[in-house]
Amino acid sequence: MTRNILLQICQVLAVLALSPLLQGAIVQFEERVQLAQGPGIFQPYRDLWKLFHKQIIVPETASWIYWLAPFVAFTAMMTVPILIPVLTDFPLPLSDMGDILGGGLILTLGSFMIVLAGLDSGSAYGGIGASRAVMVAILAEPTLILVFVGITLLAKAMLPFVVNHLLVANPAVYWSPAHLFLIAAFLILLVVETDRLPIHSSTHIEIYMIEEARILEYSGPLLALLKWASMMKQFILYTIFCNVLLIPWGLSHEGTALGVMGSVLALMGKFLLVVCAVVVVETAQSRLRFYRYQEVLAASFVFAVLAIIATQLV
Amino acid sequence: MLVAHLDPLAASIFSLMAIASLLLAFVMLGSRWLINYLYAFAAESWVIAALSAAVAFYGNYPKLYLIAILTALFRGLFLPYLVWRIIRRLNVAREIHEILQPSSALVAGALCVVFSLTVAYRIGQSLGLAGTVAVLALTIMLSIKLIGFLMLSVRHEALSQILGLLVLENGIFLGAQILVPGMPMLIEIVILFDLLIIVVCFGLLVQYLVSHVGSTSSLSLKRLVG
Repeated sequence: MTRNILLQICQVLAVLALSPLLQGAIVQFEERVQLAQGPGIFQPYRDLWKLFHKQIIVPETASWIYWLAPFVAFTAMMTVPILIPVLTDFPLPLSDMGDILGGGLILTLGSFMIVLAGLDSGSAYGGIGASRAVMVAILAEPTLILVFVGITLLAKAMLPFVVNHLLVANPAVYWSPAHLFLIAAFLILLVVETDRLPIHSSTHIEIYMIEEARILEYSGPLLALLKWASMMKQFILYTIFCNVLLIPWGLSHEGTALGVMGSVLALMGKFLLVVCAVVVVETAQSRLRFYRYQEVLAASFVFAVLAIIATQLV
Repeated sequence: MLVAHLDPLAASIFSLMAIASLLLAFVMLGSRWLINYLYAFAAESWVIAALSAAVAFYGNYPKLYLIAILTALFRGLFLPYLVWRIIRRLNVAREIHEILQPSSALVAGALCVVFSLTVAYRIGQSLGLAGTVAVLALTIMLSIKLIGFLMLSVRHEALSQILGLLVLENGIFLGAQILVPGMPMLIEIVILFDLLIIVVCFGLLVQYLVSHVGSTSSLSLKRLVG
């Protein structure tokens, strides 16, 4: 029991500690593909360190929401890893707090608070960023719900652990069209939600900004918390994609220290694969105009609908 | 009936190919450029040819191999080549007057799939085939047909309409291959020649549109001439 609690803490710590590494790896690989030197894969750690040692400047117009948002976002991202299989393939204490929908709800709560904070300070860019972020969320959310419904119909359960066990135990289900379409739909959502191309909102050019515009008014440790939270969100989505859908193998089965180390290494290997795919997409595909975002998400919607159709028939 | 008692591997291969062709129909529905549209059509024909060969292998219908080869050559190479020649002559690269945005068309297509699933499910239940590949084949046949109709109704370029008609026909052919693989050879060959005639007729229509109306959009064909 004590060991399980320790493992649960390890899951959260792994997400905390490794999420900047994932971000650094993606950025570095992109630089290397473009034949540039790149800042190295540890640059996000150095950025966070620098930001935590700077002073906080608060806009005069800001209310308590400005202070609350970074903490809520950060806490939400620390809560989700408890619910999903990060290191072990069996449920740990408190992982029955919520199912897949519960996890999605907490993830959305984090983004919702950041949207409120963007509106709160009253600056023009914060408003633009908030409105665009909500627009993308409106387009992405129905697909996310449909993907969850598809997973539920496939595994007859809403718990990520059950899905993981089903896919490991049953290769026929793994290779069934329903599952392959769910992977495709979720991959598009993953690329959209983590601000990669074809939307690529994490640029500093004002007219394209989405994510950055919402947190433009933040500085110092608060900004560091927000950046860290968004890296953790990326890590969590990658974890769900890999450990629940794409590569359900390579998780610790008994929870020994060696097994957990092995599953950390396996997780890094899986992420490396996904990162390579994402870098290929980013390099090959140019950024879409804002009014064409819906095309990508409509494709994802179609994949999710096809997956649900296919689950009905198998 | 072949589909009622298939082994699981064959069933999954059939369903994967059928769904792949449905996906290619969606690619056509969502593409803006005529040439991509054409490539997706050719790819869909090849998938259907492979499906015929798989049905021939698992159901012991040797003549279906011939049909598969004919399908691949005729629908996968010859018809796309003819349409490609028309496209090259016309200098029309993309659909200009869209009634529906590609993304809305995709969502409408998804609704068509849901509708055909409901219909196929009812039919499957009344025939005692629920839960077999037959329901899937029926769903995909109906949805490719509906998507073909959707393409015919939301696009105006004459070329898109040829391709929409061909997609419609591909859907029927796919359903026939899985559901009633023992169709007489003669009918299949007649259908292939029918397609040739469709493309030639549309080629003539396009010529007419260009020479008399000056554009290739069927929107210009509004005036009724007695």
